Amino acid sequence: MVQQHISSEHLDATFSALADPTRRAILARLALGETSVSELAEPFAMSMPAISKHLKVLQRAGLIERGREAQWRPCRLAPAPLKDASDWLEHYRRFWEESFDRLDEYLRELQKREPQKKEKKNGRKK
Amino acid sequence: MAAKSNAAAKSADREILLTRVFDAPRELVWKAFTERERMARWWGMKGTTTRIVELDLRPGGTFLYVMRMPDGREMCGKWVYREIVAPELLVVVHFTTDEMGKPIPHPYDPSLPPEMLTTSRFIEHAGRTTLELRSVPINETPAQREAFNKLADAMEEGFNNSLDLLDEYLAKA
Repeated sequence: MVQQHISSEHLDATFSALADPTRRAILARLALGETSVSELAEPFAMSMPAISKHLKVLQRAGLIERGREAQWRPCRLAPAPLKDASDWLEHYRRFWEESFDRLDEYLRELQKREPQKKEKKNGRKK
Repeated sequence: MAAKSNAAAKSADREILLTRVFDAPRELVWKAFTERERMARWWGMKGTTTRIVELDLRPGGTFLYVMRMPDGREMCGKWVYREIVAPELLVVVHFTTDEMGKPIPHPYDPSLPPEMLTTSRFIEHAGRTTLELRSVPINETPAQREAFNKLADAMEEGFNNSLDLLDEYLAKA
């Protein structure tokens, strides 16, 4: 509800890229640091072309970058779009959560100030 | 004893679900949710100050607020009350608006649903109150519904776990 505009096509690409568990696993691996494609492929029972395909989707979505070095072409995260998507995704929930934190505080304060208002019929807890 | 507020958050059936336990009787939580001066004390994100422009608690009535962010920017929104059953049920439609209360497209992305139907249930157990909140888009276009569903699906599939890793990475970067 604040901050920057994110184009919907952009988010669209981000979400489609994230919809696949292998691609999310690749991102999680890259979150630990940049790596080569073959190293990246290792934990997945997958052919190199299959991995390359996933990498292309991630790259198109702007989620990863690849080095220019002809042989090695290391992969690394390009964090900005993912960060945008997560901010956007979490915003509504966070709004409520943070309001509830404040409500919790307010209710405690109120009851400290007006203890006689607290219901007695169930007795004191603890 | 201080209440440990228990925040459980999950997404199922493409809704936003939040559950929270407050160490306060239901009557008091209800008042905090429905009285103007009390609402102003807690409604809004951390670090914000909220000014209540209007709070007209009746079906069809409006709760209109202006939130001042820590950096001085302001954002507005409103609820339109749909169903009020004191002290147990409050159903509202939540809009992002301009300062006059006119609904505006979601500032993050116009492809997001601009209206959320939000149902809050207040359940009392031994002087504590469990608040269950359920939020779903309404009056959305098919494209907005799709954007919301994608979001909900991504969350269900454990998207957030990957994001925790990413957060660590970003903190280091």
